Amino acid sequence: MDSSVHPAEILAVRGLSAGYGGRAVVSGIDLSLNRGDILGLLGANGSGKSTLLKAITGQIPPLSGSVNVNGADLASAAERAKFGFGLAIDPSDLPVALTGRQYLQLVGSIRGCAEDDWPGVNVAERLGLKPWIDRAIAHYSLGTRAKIAIAAALLGAPPLLILDESLNGLDPLAAFEVKRIILALASSGRHAVIISTHVVESVPGLCNRAVLLADGRIARDWQPWHLAEAGQMPGAFEAEVMRALTVQATDG
Amino acid sequence: MRHERLVLTLLWREPLAGLRSMRRRDLAWIGLGGSALFAYAVADIVVALQAGAATLRHAWPLWTFGLPGALLGLGGLAGNLLARLCLSRAFAPFLKALPLSLVQRRRMAAVAACALGIPIVVLVAATIGFGCFVIAKPLAPVWGLGAAILFGAGFCATAVLHLRSARDPVRIGNSELARDPGGHRPLLGPFDRAAPAWLSSWAWGLPAGRVTLSWRLVGAAMLFGLVAVVAASISLVRHDAVPAAMVALTGGVLVFMLSARFHPLGSPVLRTAPLGFARAWLRLARLPLQLSVAYFLLPAGAALAAEPSAWAMPLASGFWLMVLNGAYAVFAAYFMTAPFVAALSFLGAIAYTSYESLEYGRTVVIGFAALVLFLWYRAQRRYRHG
Repeated sequence: MDSSVHPAEILAVRGLSAGYGGRAVVSGIDLSLNRGDILGLLGANGSGKSTLLKAITGQIPPLSGSVNVNGADLASAAERAKFGFGLAIDPSDLPVALTGRQYLQLVGSIRGCAEDDWPGVNVAERLGLKPWIDRAIAHYSLGTRAKIAIAAALLGAPPLLILDESLNGLDPLAAFEVKRIILALASSGRHAVIISTHVVESVPGLCNRAVLLADGRIARDWQPWHLAEAGQMPGAFEAEVMRALTVQATDG
Repeated sequence: MRHERLVLTLLWREPLAGLRSMRRRDLAWIGLGGSALFAYAVADIVVALQAGAATLRHAWPLWTFGLPGALLGLGGLAGNLLARLCLSRAFAPFLKALPLSLVQRRRMAAVAACALGIPIVVLVAATIGFGCFVIAKPLAPVWGLGAAILFGAGFCATAVLHLRSARDPVRIGNSELARDPGGHRPLLGPFDRAAPAWLSSWAWGLPAGRVTLSWRLVGAAMLFGLVAVVAASISLVRHDAVPAAMVALTGGVLVFMLSARFHPLGSPVLRTAPLGFARAWLRLARLPLQLSVAYFLLPAGAALAAEPSAWAMPLASGFWLMVLNGAYAVFAAYFMTAPFVAALSFLGAIAYTSYESLEYGRTVVIGFAALVLFLWYRAQRRYRHG
C-alpha cells in the first residue's frame, strides 16, 4: 500500500497522461477524491472525459503518471485496484445473450458477492428492474440497459462508483432513484462517486465537486463551497460552465 | 444506383482505419518482418518445388483430380466467406434505417464480393502459373488460366448462392431474440456456474444460457459421433489402437476448436473487473476442454481395449490433446473476435511446423512454442491495456 495515500482518499490520480496509439488525449491530470465526494466530470464532446475514465478504470494504459484506487496502484496491483471501483458499463458493451440476473450473477461471482449484495438498498427494486431481470439483455431498451449496468456497478458496494454518462438514458423516476442512491452512498462516508455528464444543471444539486475538462486538461475545478454557492442561485453554475466552455472554444 | 459501392467503401475503410490507428514502429515491424517472412516462405516453396519437380510433373492424379478439386473447393470456401463478409456490411445495424431494399443491399454486397474476388482469382492464376513454371510443366500459362477458371467457378457458385439466399439478418436476429424460450431452466446451468458465472453462455451467445437445437448442431454431433464409433469399431475388430487413438486426438482437438470462443476477453465487463487474464482465459477454456475430453474418452477407451499392450498410445494422444488444445486456446484468445482466423492461423502454424521439422528436426517445435508464448503475451497485454 502506498504510504502517501490518506485512508480517506479513494482515488489519487497524479500527472496522468493517456490516449490512443501513443498520442495523448488527456495530459497532466491531477485528481484526488475522498470518501463522501461526488465529482461531476464536465466537458465538451472530445474533451477527454471518457478517455480519462478509461485510464482510471484500466482500459487503456497511462502514457505517464499514476492511478491509485483505494490504496492500490492500478499499474502494479491491477486486480486489487479494480476491487476498489464499480464501473457502469456502456449499454452497448453488455453481454446481450445473458439475462439481467445472469449478468448480475456474473459480476457478483467475480467480485465475490451475491447477485443482490447492494449497499443498503435493493437496487433492482428501486430502479424498476424486477419485471426485466429474467429476460435477455437483448430485449432491454437503452434505459433498462443503463439500469442493469448501474445495478451491476453497485454490486459488492465498491468504495468508488464510476458512471460515464449512465444517467442519460434513464427515465425521470429511475434517474431520481439513482441520484438518491448516489447521495446516500456519499453521505455514508464510505464511498465516492464520479459522474461524467452533459446535464450541467444537475451537477450543483447532486455533486459536491466538479471539474471541467477542455482539450484533455482540467480547465476549471469547483470545490464544495463554490458549488454550494452556485447551487443557491438558479442557473448560475450553468452560466459559469457555459462561459468557460465558450472561452475554451474561442481560444481553441 | 449511387450507393452500390457502399459495401466496398466500408470494407476498404476498415483496414485503412486499422493501419492509421497503429504506431509507425508496429507498422514497420509488420511490414519488414512480414515481407522477410513472406520472401523466405516463397524461396522455401520454390526450392521444395524444384527438388520434387520431376515427380510433380508426372503425378497425373494431382493434375487430374487433386489440383482441380482443391481449386474448386478453395474457390467455394473463399466465395462463401467473402459473400458472408459483404452481406454483414450490407446489413450492418447502422445502415438499418437507410431506405435500401433487400435487392439493393444484395447488389451492394455482390459488387463488393466481385471487386474483391477478381484480384484473388488473378492471384491464384499467377501462383499456379508460377508454380508450373518453376517445375517446368509445359503450358504453364494455360494451367494458370485453368486454375483461375476453376477457382472462379467455385467462388462464383457459392458467392451467388449465398447472396441470393440472403435474408435480412437484422430482422432475423431481432425475431430470434424475440423468441423467449422461458419456462425451462438453462441446460448449461450446472456446468457454467463456476466464477465468473455464465461466462461460457456469454461466449457462445446462448440466449439466456439455453441451448437451442439446430440442424447444424445436430449434424455436427452426429458426424463426430459416427466417426468415433467407426474408428472404435475398426480398432476393436483389427486389435489395432492406431485408428481410434488418432480419431480421439484429432476429434478432440476439432471439438475444442469448434467450441472455444474467447471474445469476452475484449469486453470492458471483464477488463474493468478484478479478474486476471489467466483466470478469465482458463474459465473460457474450461467447458470446451470438458467437451473435448468427453469426446476423446470413447475412442481412446476403445484404443486401449483393442490393444492393451499399446497403452502408451492413448496416453500420448491425451497428452498431445492437452498441448494442442492449450496452444489453440492461446491462438483463439489472441484472435478473440475472429475464431475462423484463429483456426486458420493455428492449422497453418501446425502445418508449417510439421513441414519444417521434417527438414530441421524437432527444434522447429521450439519456434512454435515461442510463437504461442508471444501470442499469450500479446493477448494478456491487450486484456490489461486495450
